[in-house]
Amino acid sequence: MRKYFVVFGLVMTMFFSATASAREVTFDTQLTNYRGDGAYLAIYLTDSNGVYQGTLWIAGRDSEYYKHLRGWARGSRMRRAEYDGLTGASITSGRTLTMTMNIDDSFIDNGYEIHVDTAVEDRRDNRSDVMVPLTSEGAGKPVAGRGYVKSFTYNF
Amino acid sequence: MKNRSIALGLSMFLLTGAALADDDCDDPVSGWQPRENLRQQLEADGWEVYRIKVDDGCYEVEGRNQYGSRVEASFAPSNFELMELEREDEDDDDDERDDDERRNYQADGNRQQTMPSNGIVKGRPSVSVQ
Repeated sequence: MRKYFVVFGLVMTMFFSATASAREVTFDTQLTNYRGDGAYLAIYLTDSNGVYQGTLWIAGRDSEYYKHLRGWARGSRMRRAEYDGLTGASITSGRTLTMTMNIDDSFIDNGYEIHVDTAVEDRRDNRSDVMVPLTSEGAGKPVAGRGYVKSFTYNF
Repeated sequence: MKNRSIALGLSMFLLTGAALADDDCDDPVSGWQPRENLRQQLEADGWEVYRIKVDDGCYEVEGRNQYGSRVEASFAPSNFELMELEREDEDDDDDERDDDERRNYQADGNRQQTMPSNGIVKGRPSVSVQ
């Protein structure tokens, strides 16, 4: 009987340690009704000093245009390994990009910030259109962008 | 005789001009649909549209078709009939790698094959646009 308790305890410990290492986060990015082509977006994390840590998502598939996502391009050096498996279509005016992903727990409530760079062909590039700390306190609170992003929200 | 030659030359010139103008669109402007309708139609077909401009009376679209090829296509503005389609060549290795990735993307029913490997995102994200 005691053996079963030990095994059960081990299984539960493994389960909780696995689930505690990452948290499911949903990000909603709504664009303004701007005039122009589909927007390219880079959503990425920096530390509190603004130093690039990693990519969460790139909207826009043509890497030729990634240099216009200026803050992200500088931090990531546009290395393919940084965005492999994290790219999708560009987002047209007025639409909302919703993404749900598991993020390592160590990036939450530890001074890290989410940045959103945006760019539209023949129009202005916006480095850090959105910049917001990734904290439990900030979850569910919409933030307005200063470029093509109308509203940005994340939820755990 | 000389006049007949000039008339013949002139009519040949006009006929050639008409033949060359075949790819142009001559829909009356009053019947044009908004270019946003064309964008939506193409995106519904799986295209990624980079830009739409007016050229020789047609809507000229630059983008990628549903197979991931970079294309330039002309459509009649009133009924969106395809008038011309050109496939553009990719010009460097990065783009060729992008093509491979796109082929994988298409083969998996619009889902990415590659798993993220940057250490922050665990597993494949779920993404939608509304």
